[in-house]
Amino acid sequence: MVDVSRVQKELTECNRDKEVSGVSIALHDGSTISHLTGTIAGPLGTPYEGGTFVIDIRLPGGYPFEPPKMQFITKVWHPNISSQNGAICLDILKDQWSPALTLKTALLSLQALLSAPAPDDPQDAVVAQQYLRDYSTFSATARYWTEAFAKSTSTGMEEKVQKLVEMGFPEDMVRSVLKSVNGDENMALEKLCSG
Amino acid sequence: MGYDAMAHDASSPAAARDAKKKRGNRSAKLKQSKLDVRREQWLSQVKDGKEVKAVVSPGAAAGANSGSPILASPHPPLPRRRAEIRTREGEPEDYKEDSVGASQDVGSSDHESPLHSPVSYNPPVDCLQQKHCSGNGGRSFSSGSSAWSSSRSVSDSDNDTGGSPENDDDDGVLDDWEAVADALSVDDSHNHQEPVPAAPPVVPASSPEPANAATRQEPIKSRTRAWSPDDVFRPQSLPSLSKQASFPASMGDCWVAMGIGSAQKGILLLPISCPICYEDLDPTDSSFLPCPCGFHLCLFCHKRILEADGRCPGCRKQYTSASSGGGMTGNECEMGNLRLSRSCSMGPRY
Repeated sequence: MVDVSRVQKELTECNRDKEVSGVSIALHDGSTISHLTGTIAGPLGTPYEGGTFVIDIRLPGGYPFEPPKMQFITKVWHPNISSQNGAICLDILKDQWSPALTLKTALLSLQALLSAPAPDDPQDAVVAQQYLRDYSTFSATARYWTEAFAKSTSTGMEEKVQKLVEMGFPEDMVRSVLKSVNGDENMALEKLCSG
Repeated sequence: MGYDAMAHDASSPAAARDAKKKRGNRSAKLKQSKLDVRREQWLSQVKDGKEVKAVVSPGAAAGANSGSPILASPHPPLPRRRAEIRTREGEPEDYKEDSVGASQDVGSSDHESPLHSPVSYNPPVDCLQQKHCSGNGGRSFSSGSSAWSSSRSVSDSDNDTGGSPENDDDDGVLDDWEAVADALSVDDSHNHQEPVPAAPPVVPASSPEPANAATRQEPIKSRTRAWSPDDVFRPQSLPSLSKQASFPASMGDCWVAMGIGSAQKGILLLPISCPICYEDLDPTDSSFLPCPCGFHLCLFCHKRILEADGRCPGCRKQYTSASSGGGMTGNECEMGNLRLSRSCSMGPRY
């Protein structure tokens, strides 16, 4: 089974400096420690700047001796990330995984992957073609996707959460509902009141 | 002579039982066989002693008065030590009752009196010893001289006196049981056997006795280290408390040494916990450098990795190639030393 104590320590360790690193991990639904949700901040100076990218993390039974399975939930326009399903092409998540790596270092590697695409080894051939042939279009598309998919749920998220929590709703419920309605404060309030 | 002390010990049976509990189940079989052998041997000793008593006891008494080395020097500690050994082996009460019942005619009826018994019980054993010295020659002499303090040599002397069929079995059990002490007794057995040709009848009792006693002291000491520190009958002079205290200290030394060693190899600071499983590294793990890259990990994780792809988590190189490069072998030597030192220092604690 998953090394629970290691994963718990990793979570604590990773979330300790999430403001600095721009990387955080949380339990996906709280029921199992083998299903996590990671978030990374879009690196500065890239089309992904300002976005917050959510990554679905599933830990296989052999973790940390087997790599975690990671997949972008947030839609990303990137040569090494599938624009369809968020599948990631990154060696350390496959054959170059090492048990000395952690979820945090893997997420940081994803962050680095956003800054430094590797179009020669693409996951999404269309994006890779665009990146190689027409970088400006690629950059614009990537920026648009970041605006469209990586920011809506996160802009002012903390303020919205704060507001709803002050209304008396539990914070974790507020967050999950806000996430489910894609950050729409009014819909979230409606859902919270009805649920 | 041992009787009075035994009887004395039996007056505090709770302490004796505590000691018995501490022995644990491991020596249960040994206890039983020893008990049988002892009983027979003591019966024979008592009989022998009684026979020779009339002849030798005046001399023995005179020797004690004159301060002869054989009688004066080894004796004062003897009653106590013997009683301790018996108590440690967890058979004081049963044995005492049996032997006392069998040798009722020898001693007085008042076994509880410490004043009375030395007089009445010393002679038989002294006589036995003297008989060995003069009659049977070197081997029996030395073994007889050590009969006081070592249960092993008690069975030796039993051999000489035509002992019981359980002797071999008993010896075998003892050898197994004291396998830890074998390394110590190797030297001692050399010392012990060399004087055998020289020791014989030529020397009556005085000069070889202290020498043999001295050589036999070592295994005795090593055995008495098996005392638990809180044992009531544990001799005050035993240094095993300092042993215990030195155990963490030696661990600290290991840490220091390893820290220095790894620093010299240009490795990062010694990790406190395994980077794979996040469990604390013990000194064995910390000295375990399976890969020349210096990546530390615990033995469990290393084994797990070897069962899979066998690549070092630090540098992703195959462990097999790394092990032939000398990093593995050197470390295995180091690990061996570490284990040895640990088992040595933990041995006395049982």
